[in-house]
Order: sequence, then structure tokens, then C-alpha cells
Amino acid sequence: MTEPAMPLEPKLRLAGLLLLCGLLVAIVTLTWNAPLSFLVFSGIGGPFIFAGIVVYLYSLTNLHHN
Amino acid sequence: MTLPGPATLVYAALIVTAGLVAIVAVRPAVTATRGGKIFAFVALFLLPVMSIFAAGFEHVERTKRTSFCLSCHIMEPYGKSLYVDNPQYVPAAHFQNHRIPVDEACYTCHTDYALYGGVHAKLRGLRHIYIQYLGTPPAPDKIKLYTPYNNRECLHCHLGARSFQSNAVHMAILDSLKSNEMSCVTSGCHDTVHNIDSLSKAKFWSPER
Repeated sequence: MTEPAMPLEPKLRLAGLLLLCGLLVAIVTLTWNAPLSFLVFSGIGGPFIFAGIVVYLYSLTNLHHN
Repeated sequence: MTLPGPATLVYAALIVTAGLVAIVAVRPAVTATRGGKIFAFVALFLLPVMSIFAAGFEHVERTKRTSFCLSCHIMEPYGKSLYVDNPQYVPAAHFQNHRIPVDEACYTCHTDYALYGGVHAKLRGLRHIYIQYLGTPPAPDKIKLYTPYNNRECLHCHLGARSFQSNAVHMAILDSLKSNEMSCVTSGCHDTVHNIDSLSKAKFWSPER
């Protein structure tokens, strides 16, 4: 039995929003010249971007349901 | 005309990527066509991966800057020691005469010129951040090197230089210097380094801007 597939568009929106958050964090931390900026970049921005990419790739695997 | 620096290119890449991602996030219907799917792949996968690597690289490069090291309050006296108006102070003489890149003064002398020197320097930096924010940072005058200063870092530039080779003392003890049997900075020859304890009595050089 297969799970009902989530429509593609909300997944793309979610992926886009996660990526936007990550990119925003990356831009802000690059303007901030302090040791903490690297930690915020890698601890917050990186996971957001990684999650966005994973959601996007996951949406591709379910394309046939749509 | 000057070319934009790497930082400008990274900012541009991040902004362009954010713009393209926003298009897909606002109008996911653009992916209905074949061209739209390719666009989404570029906007949601290729460009973010490239941008995050570029931003990470820029962050790592920025950690080499003198201003980055001196952004911690604890490092202020060490930064001040670079402006002492006395050529006996080895870091000051190197910094003021541009014998090292002034924008990367700390990194140039305090990284190991070995295969993983840069990696070790970054790991030590992460430890410093941990101590700064979650531990108890020591007083500036209590800061010590993890290991005695390795002559390799001096010889990286000085070995083979005319001023170094023409000094008979250097040549007579060269093997001892190479093996660290004698230290450049603690064997009584070039032993005035940052010496932050004596800064209150020192005169300072003020560069013309």
C-alpha cells in the first residue's frame, strides 16, 4: 500500500521557503564580521539550505504520483 | 576599473539564487513545463549547492583576517602590540614593514606551515570560539601557545633570504634552528614578541591613513 502523495506545489513552496531562509542567513552572516557569524552560518543557514534541497529532491521522487 | 572581489561575487550569487528560489516558491506552477522543471532544478538544487560552498569558502577565508582575530576583546592587547614603535618587537617589525600581509598578520605567523596546518588552525579557532562563548576565557596575559613556537614558521619565509643567509650566526646554528633545538624566539636572540605586559610603557606608531 502506498501513502497518498502530497501535491507537488506545496512541496516546492516549502523547499523554496527553507532555501530562502538559509540564503538569508548566509547573506546576513557574511555582513557580520564576528567569530559567531560562522557558527550561525553553519549551524542555522546550512541546515535550512540542506533541508530545502532534501525537500526538493524528495518532491522529484514522488513526481509520478502527480 | 577594478574587478569585483570574491566577497562581492559571493553576495551576488546568493542574491541571484534567492531571487530565483523566490520565483519558484511564489509560482510553483512554472515547473509544469519541461523548461520550468530545468529552471527549478537550477534554482532549487544547483545554485543553492554552489552558493553555500562559495559562502562557506568566504567565511573560512575571512577567518584569516587580522580584523577577525582582533574582533575578540581578549585579543586587543595583541593587536595593539603590532603598533609598538620599537623594532625589537618582532611582530610589530613584521607588521609595520609589511614583511607579512597586514590583512592576515595573525594567521601568517600562527598557522603551521605543514600539510594540515590550515585545518589545525581552524580547529583551534573553533575551540577558541567555544571558550569565548561557553567557557571561561583567560586574561589576555595568561594566553599561552599550545606548543612552543616552531622555528619552521620563521624559516618558511626567512630560509634562503639574503638578509638571513648573510648573518653568520644564523648560518652557524642553522641545523639547531631547523631541528628546533634552539628557538628563534626564546633563545635570547629575538625574544621580544608580543610582550603585552610591557605595552603600558611602550610608544606606538600611528600609520598615516
